[in-house]
Amino acid sequence: LLTFTGSSAMVSLHLVPRLIALLLLLPGRIRSSSPVFNSLLSDLQGDPELEERCRDLLRDFGRRYESYVKCAVPSARPVRICENCHIQFEMLRVVYNNISSDQSEGSGSNRSATFLLRADRLMLVYMLFQNLEDVWDVAHCSQCLSGDGLSNITLRYMAKLNQSLSCFESQKNNHSELCRVCRADYKDLNEFYSIMEKNQTLCIDIEDSMNATRRLWSKDFNCSFPREETVPVIAVSSFMLFLPIIFYLSSFLHSEQKKRRLIHPKRAKSNNSLMNIQDKHS
Amino acid sequence: MANITKKVSWSSRGDEPAPAGEGTPLLNGAGGAARSYSRQVTAGDVDSTGSQPFFFIFFPLEIPHNEKLLSLKYESLDYDNSENQLFLEEERRMSYMGFRCLEISRWVVCALIGILTGLIACFIDIVVENLAGLKYKVIKENIEKFTEAGGLSISLILWAFLNSVIVMMGAIIVAFFEPIAAGSGIPQIKCYLNGVKIPRVVRLKTLVVKVCGVICSVAGGLAVGKEGPMIHSGAVVAAGVSQGRSTSLKKDFKIFEYFRRDTEKRDFVSAGAAAGVSAAFGAPVGGVLFSLEEGASFWNQMLTWRIFFASMISTFTLNFFLSIYHNKTGELSNPGLINFGRFDSDVSSPAFLHLQGMCGLLGALFNVLNYWLTIFRIRYIHRPCLQVMEAMLVAAVTATVSFAMIYFSDDCQPLGEDQAENYPLQLFCADGEYNSMATAFFNTPERSVRSLFHNPPGSYNPPTLGVFTLTYFFLACWTYGLTVSAGVFIPSLLIGAAWGRLFGIMLAHITPYGSIWADPGKYALIGAAAQLGGIVRMTLSLTVILVEATGNVTYGFPIMLVLMTAKIVGDYFVEGLYDIHIKLQSVPFLHWEAPATSHALTAREVMSSPVTCFNRVEKVGTIVDVLSNTSTNHNGFPVVTRVMDDDEPGKICGLILRSQLIVLLKHKVFVERTRSRLNQRKLQLKDFRDAYPRFPPIQSIHVSQDERECMMDLTEFMNPTPYTVTQETSLPRVFKLFRALGLRHLVVVDSENRVVGLVTRKDLARYHLGKHGLEELQLAQT
Repeated sequence: LLTFTGSSAMVSLHLVPRLIALLLLLPGRIRSSSPVFNSLLSDLQGDPELEERCRDLLRDFGRRYESYVKCAVPSARPVRICENCHIQFEMLRVVYNNISSDQSEGSGSNRSATFLLRADRLMLVYMLFQNLEDVWDVAHCSQCLSGDGLSNITLRYMAKLNQSLSCFESQKNNHSELCRVCRADYKDLNEFYSIMEKNQTLCIDIEDSMNATRRLWSKDFNCSFPREETVPVIAVSSFMLFLPIIFYLSSFLHSEQKKRRLIHPKRAKSNNSLMNIQDKHS
Repeated sequence: MANITKKVSWSSRGDEPAPAGEGTPLLNGAGGAARSYSRQVTAGDVDSTGSQPFFFIFFPLEIPHNEKLLSLKYESLDYDNSENQLFLEEERRMSYMGFRCLEISRWVVCALIGILTGLIACFIDIVVENLAGLKYKVIKENIEKFTEAGGLSISLILWAFLNSVIVMMGAIIVAFFEPIAAGSGIPQIKCYLNGVKIPRVVRLKTLVVKVCGVICSVAGGLAVGKEGPMIHSGAVVAAGVSQGRSTSLKKDFKIFEYFRRDTEKRDFVSAGAAAGVSAAFGAPVGGVLFSLEEGASFWNQMLTWRIFFASMISTFTLNFFLSIYHNKTGELSNPGLINFGRFDSDVSSPAFLHLQGMCGLLGALFNVLNYWLTIFRIRYIHRPCLQVMEAMLVAAVTATVSFAMIYFSDDCQPLGEDQAENYPLQLFCADGEYNSMATAFFNTPERSVRSLFHNPPGSYNPPTLGVFTLTYFFLACWTYGLTVSAGVFIPSLLIGAAWGRLFGIMLAHITPYGSIWADPGKYALIGAAAQLGGIVRMTLSLTVILVEATGNVTYGFPIMLVLMTAKIVGDYFVEGLYDIHIKLQSVPFLHWEAPATSHALTAREVMSSPVTCFNRVEKVGTIVDVLSNTSTNHNGFPVVTRVMDDDEPGKICGLILRSQLIVLLKHKVFVERTRSRLNQRKLQLKDFRDAYPRFPPIQSIHVSQDERECMMDLTEFMNPTPYTVTQETSLPRVFKLFRALGLRHLVVVDSENRVVGLVTRKDLARYHLGKHGLEELQLAQT
């Protein structure tokens, strides 16, 4: 239960206020900053044509950004971000790639890429996109996607999940009956999930839905395995614990005790004996 | 023989009180019944072996084994250099370049020691990991199967069976092939560095048995670690590499021949022990300090830098090869066998100090229990098959207890993406959760330690930790001293980490500002240090080892405080575990200083007397007779001007060792032969080195009847300037001389330089400060 939600949920919760803030900052407002400052500088700053292209790109980026965030925020709980928003994210990525790979007209500092992405300390466009990309990576969304849609394995998982959930739905009044009837479906789902876990084809959507299902199964319907073999386990354990007692007792009683033979040291120990030597010598 | 061994009648001190300090009686081995007896004239190391009908009649005393004995089977190392004429000659012949090459080859040997020790550590680590992994995988699958289908008691039996079988293999090789490889090996290495030659301790066979044994015992799930044996392994590697040959394999590489003597070998062994520590804990400085602390008796300051070199090489080698094994070449993140992981340096909590009250007590309790258990084992469980059975039983019970703990635990924790549970067991927990008792028990001890240090707060419930501490404490205590090769470091760390973490959790509960003290992992670290310090009682080296293992100097202060307290509190009750085991093995171990109240004892009372001496030019028959006399297995013989026929001792002019005499006899260096055959090759120091370290026994040397009448000139071969003291020298003075110079024999002379006695290690080691003042240990055959 709760697989991965711990960390992932924290990340997404942490990002939600930022996403909302971003929503409010979106394109229409880009040009409406301090007018005096703005117009003079941008006029002086070289090529108007390039300027216009950049503005277009930037506007485009803003629109797509908006649509992605609008999709992502409602999908935060329960997490469906990969499933619901992968199209929007793909579009956003395309426009960002356009910006960053813009090679047309001129080189060096004149390119849109440099102009939009790296011209200042803040590098707002870059940062905004980078944040979203991080979220996407942490969610492992790419692992559930293939081509331009959900991968086959994800779809199969969804089917199994729906099967289990509908079984739960149909039996939800009688929990003991539910455990019996739905065990096969649930087990199938669980095993499929374990395989996916091993193959690393999980994304946050799947993890979250599986967590919820497991919580339903174990906590709400209480279908975990009961602890019912206490007696045999205790019996075997106490037998095992009994063995060393027998062993030590029998070796105490039957084994011959190891004796050490003392050896007397050979030395002139007392003053007396030394005096004897001296007496002899004198 | 008659002209050498004489019977001298001594009057005993009889009714006179003993002159020992503070009026405390010296326990004189045999007791009152044997006060008056005639003595055999003896000398040298009191190394009697074989039957001794003479003493048997007077002392039929057989007592159960206890700690107050000194065994006769241990001899001293010949650390002191014999500056005889051969040595001087060789020194003259050696060019300046020769000395430079020697110095360089010392460094080469140290590098080799480091590399080989690192490789062995790497090998042990990988094999244990795989073997344990396989075992846990099998059991885990089995448990999963039976959780569903019913019949978990079968899993229990499977677990116990697997454990017993693996441990049985380890115990069999140790018990039947090389009993000296049992235990952690640290006591033995400590003795070796102290200057005691423990038989077979640095043989290749011991190394092989040690390595295989430790793999079996760790993979067999005993409550043991692989760190202690690493130190022993390093020492064996050092002893082997520095000799450039293997006597066991009968292979001589003809290199490093100069190092074939005890002095050089012991220096390299200290380097090897340091390399072992360094590979075990990733603590090169700690390794050097370990060698310094344990072997500081006669320390060569020049050696320190070389030892440090060996340590560094060893940890680097281990690190490098493990990184290759883990497919992360170059990412050196496994400096030691045990990896504490990284701790952040926020040591703000003053509550560490609270822990200190407990730390020594638990360690002392551990030692006392283990002491009684070891005595019982020595007395009753001395047959190899019994020892193997005991080890198997412990393994089975360990598995059973672990299983029962896991089975009855209700502590379920959610699985995390980043947590390091390698074998999470679900059992009766909800899906997606694991049994948190299983992280502690269903795992190799190293991993359990790491999860106790680093799992986020809330990973363990207090009751789980409490039960775990208690069980593991008794299991570890029971396990140490079994006939398997295994160390006590990791179990101690684990016990300490468990109660340290428990303490941390409690503290966070009862204090209002729990958030400051929120990280129970740090308490686990401090608890681990305290427990380990309470058990082994090492000070400086242990602090540095732990600081290096955590990789954070900031923890130095709390760890030091905790270790200090643990030592003070623990020493109040009982000695350190290693010292207990050294005592129980009856090793003549010289501590740092002589017992405090021993100044009243003089060399005259300490020495062995009278002494078997040889003349400068001695008859071969006499020498052969003395050497082959089984009742007086002496090793050093003072050479005197002339042995009188009466009891008058002669003037000392040198000291010759048994090993030298044997080589002389083997090469038949007799005066008559040199005269008759002028072209005979002159004996060189090399001939003595070639026979080292296993000098043939005297029985294997054939001396014909004619040769017995020849004479042997010892002048060239004896050490012409042995250390001597006068009879009035006090015991502490003798002790200091002995310990600082690493002597083996110290001749006691009278005012006219006549030999009256000989002090050896056993004469000094037998005095110790007991509860009732100065006590004397008895000599016994073991």
